[in-house]
Amino acid sequence: MTNQIIQAILLGGYYALLACGLSFMFSIMKIINLAHGSLLVLSAYMFWLLADNYGISPFYGIFIIVPIMMLVGWGLQVFLLQKSAKAGELLPILTTFGLAIVIENLLFQQFGADTRSLAPYIGDLSWASWEIFEDIYVGKTSVYILIAAIIILGGLHLFMKKTALGRQIRATAHDPETAGLVGVNARKASVIAVALAMGTVAVSGLALGIRGVFNAYSGGPQLLFAFEATIIGGPASLWGTLIGGIILALAQTIGANIHPQGFLIGGHAIFFAVLFIRIFLSKGGMSQRIKSVLGISK
Amino acid sequence: MTSLKIQNLDVQHGQLKAVRNLSLTVQKGEVVALIGANGAGKTTLLGSIAGVLRTTSGSILLNGQDITDLPSHKRVQAGLALVPEGRKLFTEMTIEENLRLGSTSARPGYWTVDSVLEAFPNLIKRRHSKTGLLSGGEQQATAIGRALMSNPEILILDEVSLGLSPLVVNQVYDSLKRLLETDTTIILVEQDLTRAMKVASRAVCMLEGEIILNKQMSEVSREEITDAYFGLHKVKDR
Repeated sequence: MTNQIIQAILLGGYYALLACGLSFMFSIMKIINLAHGSLLVLSAYMFWLLADNYGISPFYGIFIIVPIMMLVGWGLQVFLLQKSAKAGELLPILTTFGLAIVIENLLFQQFGADTRSLAPYIGDLSWASWEIFEDIYVGKTSVYILIAAIIILGGLHLFMKKTALGRQIRATAHDPETAGLVGVNARKASVIAVALAMGTVAVSGLALGIRGVFNAYSGGPQLLFAFEATIIGGPASLWGTLIGGIILALAQTIGANIHPQGFLIGGHAIFFAVLFIRIFLSKGGMSQRIKSVLGISK
Repeated sequence: MTSLKIQNLDVQHGQLKAVRNLSLTVQKGEVVALIGANGAGKTTLLGSIAGVLRTTSGSILLNGQDITDLPSHKRVQAGLALVPEGRKLFTEMTIEENLRLGSTSARPGYWTVDSVLEAFPNLIKRRHSKTGLLSGGEQQATAIGRALMSNPEILILDEVSLGLSPLVVNQVYDSLKRLLETDTTIILVEQDLTRAMKVASRAVCMLEGEIILNKQMSEVSREEITDAYFGLHKVKDR
């Protein structure tokens, strides 16, 4: 029992790390990035390419892939989101949906149906573990992933709260026109925000690759787990995402205990339970309730 | 010395011409009251000066520099600040955060968080409260303070008394007194004519997107302004 709870918390850290970029774009920019999963898989492939072709360890690869993904974020904002946002709130979401399909199929065309993993390139770390109590072992990678999630979410939280640039990004997300009036370069602030989100997506891709296997179409489940963690934790809060990830993992573990196939169902059940309770507790008409639960009301 | 020069300005909302062929020159240190009924084009004019609205034709010069095509944050850098109608605060941030945002493109000058709080002492004890929870008067003071943080040469105030009780309006204008005495150029929209005539040095009346009266306060009568407000001068001239 204790073992299962500890493993579930570590798994929750993994979900939280998957969700960082999604949660950030959701809470700050009010955009649900449906290409989150595919972009994450894209960066996992980039880590794999570096390791397989040039023998660069994924841990050094971070210094190459994070900047590349930040550039991808810049392009995403300037060429897609900024333009589609002019046509209303819904269009950026549809745009990211289309982008996800494009990325998935390009990856499939390039890399085929073989599943890959980064585990062969990280030495004994992929199976190494610590014994914390008698007969209870935790995987080293799982612990590192949990720590990474705490550092990234905490860092983003502090950055948004304490720095001038963070304030400018929040102001732009709240009301770009007024942000301009007080002297904020709204375009620049949005570009920086998306670039930051994509930088964290690169780290999520690394976590995906060293923890398991991926192929071109692995993005969907990652997006689903990330989205569930974000919503359970409350879309307005970055710290909430960490809690949300842990709750999701605990529910999945309980589900698996009840029935061998209950793992995913347990997660979905808690997601819907939280969603419906929040809708029930919030005020106003139905569309207003849904908006406030999703954190997109202003 | 000319501070702001607007030449043959046209601004359209779709099919509607909200500002038509408007020209206006404002001297440094002047306090100009922009007077007109709802729909006369006042807010549209101010919005296009601040860079929120695109102009159809014409030009806007600030100290001789053409700012017609600059985005709004660059205009703040050049010395223009607008306090928008309805205050438009960032309601999830505190007073201090709102003020600090105002200094994003600031020029060097007198106004800092401390000097703003000194000018609006009612904000001091609420410094770390979220602005969404403040009273109307406190919100308006924060909005004005936020604009001042950029140390503007021209401060534009759009309907500062909107939605405030007469008592609170008095407080807001009291705290503006000090500002009115400095050489900051001010353009303000005020529906209360008595107050506008007391505060401003020049009256500019707008009707249907055009300026129909532009005189020093000392040379204009209350009746002249009311006639212009309702467009009665056309009837009386006949």
